[in-house]
Amino acid sequence: MESVEVANRGKRRNSGKKKGKMASKRPRLNEYKVKIDKKMKKVFEKRARDYNSDDEDEDEDEAEFTEPKRKEEEEYEVEFSDNDEEEQEEEDGFKRGEVSEDEDGGIQPGITKFADGIKAFRLAFKKIVKKSGDDDDVLGPVLSAHKKLIAEKLGEEEAEKKVKGEVKKEKNLIREKGHVKPVNYLDAHEKFLLGIATKGVVKLFNAVNKAQTAQRGLNPSRSRDEKVIKKRRKEAFFSELGRTSSQSAKTVVKVGTSGGSVDDDAPGWAPLRDNYMLTNPKLKDWDKMQDKNDEDDFGRQPQTDSSSDED
Amino acid sequence: MARFRNKKRTPFVRVRQFTKKQPTVDHVTGDKIPKSFVFCRGKLPGTLRQLETDLRKLMLPFTALKLKEKKRNNLKDFLNVSGPMGVTHFLILSKTPTAPYLRVARTPQGPTLTFKIQEYSLATEIAQSQVRPRSPKDLFKNPPLIVLSGFGTGEQHLKLTTIMFQNIFPAIDVNTVKLSSCQRIVLLNYNKDTKLIDFRHYSIRLQPIGVSRRIRKFVQNHQVPDLRNLQDVSDFVTKVGYGSESEVDDEAATVSLPTDLGRVNRASNKSAVKLQEIGPRMTLQLTKIEEGLCSGGVIFSEYVNNDKSKNQKTHDEEDNNEEEEEEEEEEEEESEEEGEEED
Repeated sequence: MESVEVANRGKRRNSGKKKGKMASKRPRLNEYKVKIDKKMKKVFEKRARDYNSDDEDEDEDEAEFTEPKRKEEEEYEVEFSDNDEEEQEEEDGFKRGEVSEDEDGGIQPGITKFADGIKAFRLAFKKIVKKSGDDDDVLGPVLSAHKKLIAEKLGEEEAEKKVKGEVKKEKNLIREKGHVKPVNYLDAHEKFLLGIATKGVVKLFNAVNKAQTAQRGLNPSRSRDEKVIKKRRKEAFFSELGRTSSQSAKTVVKVGTSGGSVDDDAPGWAPLRDNYMLTNPKLKDWDKMQDKNDEDDFGRQPQTDSSSDED
Repeated sequence: MARFRNKKRTPFVRVRQFTKKQPTVDHVTGDKIPKSFVFCRGKLPGTLRQLETDLRKLMLPFTALKLKEKKRNNLKDFLNVSGPMGVTHFLILSKTPTAPYLRVARTPQGPTLTFKIQEYSLATEIAQSQVRPRSPKDLFKNPPLIVLSGFGTGEQHLKLTTIMFQNIFPAIDVNTVKLSSCQRIVLLNYNKDTKLIDFRHYSIRLQPIGVSRRIRKFVQNHQVPDLRNLQDVSDFVTKVGYGSESEVDDEAATVSLPTDLGRVNRASNKSAVKLQEIGPRMTLQLTKIEEGLCSGGVIFSEYVNNDKSKNQKTHDEEDNNEEEEEEEEEEEEESEEEGEEED
C-alpha cells in the first residue's frame, strides 16, 4: 500500500476505486502478467460487490472513463518525469494510455475486463431490447435471425394445446354425465316432493299415535286385556289407514303391521302365530276393498314372495 | 434401573369384521332384517364414488359402511360373502359413456332391477346449497322410513319395484315403534308421464306449533334473548312478530304426538313435521328387470327390440370381464357404437 500512497500523494483522487487501479498499475507494469496477490483479490471482490449497473448510466460511464483516463495520463507523465529510470515504462505507459483510450482499458486484464465487459454487454442488450420492442409479442426479443421458424413452432404448440384441451373437455363431459349441482332455492318440484313426503310422515305418525294411545289404558301383561288390545289396535289402525288412504292421493307408507296379520287368539310373538308367513284372509279382504279405489297400495303384505325363505 | 414391562400390551388383532353384530331377525315382527351391500363395478369417476358413499350412509345401519372392494372381486365373491353375513340386497353402481346405472338386486337369486341414473346430486352439494344444513349425531342410527308415491297404476314392473324397495328397509311395527327413532325418510316418486322416479332423502324434525317463534327459539337454543328495548318480560312473551312463510303451517303437516319427544315437543300437543333434505338426490329411469342376479331372463325392458341386446351386452361384459376394466370400457364403447350404427 506504500506504493499507492506514494503515487497519489498530493493528487486529487476521484474515488476509492480509481486509487486501487492506480496503485496496482505500478507493480503490474514490470511484469505484464496477471498476478493477483491477496490484497488485490480483496480489492477485486469489493469492486464486484459494489458494482451496480443500475446506478450507472451510459453517460456516466463515459464521463468516468474519460476522467480517470486523463488522470492516468497526468499521473503517468508526472511520475515518469520524476523517475527517469522508467523510460520504458513511459512509453509503455503512453501506449497503455492510448490503448486505454481506445479500448477502454486493456491494461488491467483482471478487473477492467470484468467491469467493462459487463457494461459492454449491457449496452448491446439494451440496444437489442429497444429494437425488438416493436416486434410481435409472440416472438419477444430475438437474438437470432430465424424468426420464421420460431413462429411456426409456437403456432404448432398452440394448436396442439387446443386439441388436447378439447379432448380433455370431452372426457370431462363424459365423466360428469348426469351430475347436477343443486340450486340454492327450493323450486316448485322440490316443494311438491317435500309435500308428499310430509304427508306420508304425518299419516304414519298419526297412525302410530292412535295405536299407541289406545293401547295405553290397558296393561299388556294381563292376558284378557291383551286380546282386547290386539283387537282394538287392529281395528283402529286399519280404520285410520283406510280412511286416510282413500282421501290422500297415491301415497304408500311402508309399515310392518304385526297387528295386521293377527287373529284374536294368536300369541304376541310373530313366529308363534298360526299364520306366520301365510296370507291373512282378513288382510286379503281389506286389499280387495281397496282395489276398488285402485288408488293405494297399503301396508306391508306378509307374503314372502320377495323375501327368501332361507331359514 | 429395571426395565419396565408394558403390561397393557394389546394382542395383535386383525380386525376383519365389516358389519357390527346385528340381529338378523327383528325380535318384534319375526321377520328377517334386510341387509345390503353397496358397491361399484368397474372404474368410476370421483363423483360416482362419492355417490356410493352417500348411498351407503343412506342404508345405514344395516349395511357395510366400510366395505372394501378390490378390482379383482367378482359378483360371485360378493355372493359368497353375503350368505353367512345375512345380506339380502345388493346395490350396484356402474357407468357407461351414456350414463351411470344403479342395479338393485335381491340375493341370492332374486330379481335385478336396472335403473339408469339420469341426474344425481351429492349429499355435500345439497348441504352446501342450503342455508342451515342439519346433521344431528344420531341421524343414521336408525333405518329410514320409505314412502313410495305414484306407483299405484297396477303395472307389473311397478309393483315389483314397490315390493323390492319396501323390502330393502326393515319393517316398522306401529304399536311398538318409538317416534324418536324415525328420523329419516326416503321418498320415491314415480311420474307417469316421464316415467322417471325421483329419489329423495330427508331428515325429519318436529317442531311444536302454537308457540310464538321467539319463545320456541329461546327454549330450543337456550340463548338469553335481548331485552334491551323492552320494558317488561311480558312484552317479550306476548309480542306479535310478523309471520314468516314457514310459520303458516298447513293443517296437514301437524301431528299430535303420543309421547314426549325431547323437551319441546310434548305429548298431546300439536307439533309440526318439518323435513329437510339430506343425502343424495337422484332421478332414475327403470330400464330393465331380470329374473336372476344380473342374469337370467328379462322380465321387463324399457326399450324393446334392438336396444335390449345392446344393454344386455354391455352389462354382461361388465360382469364377466372384471379384470380387464379398461378393455371393458373400450368394448362397451365399441358395442354401443355398433348398436347405434345398427339403428
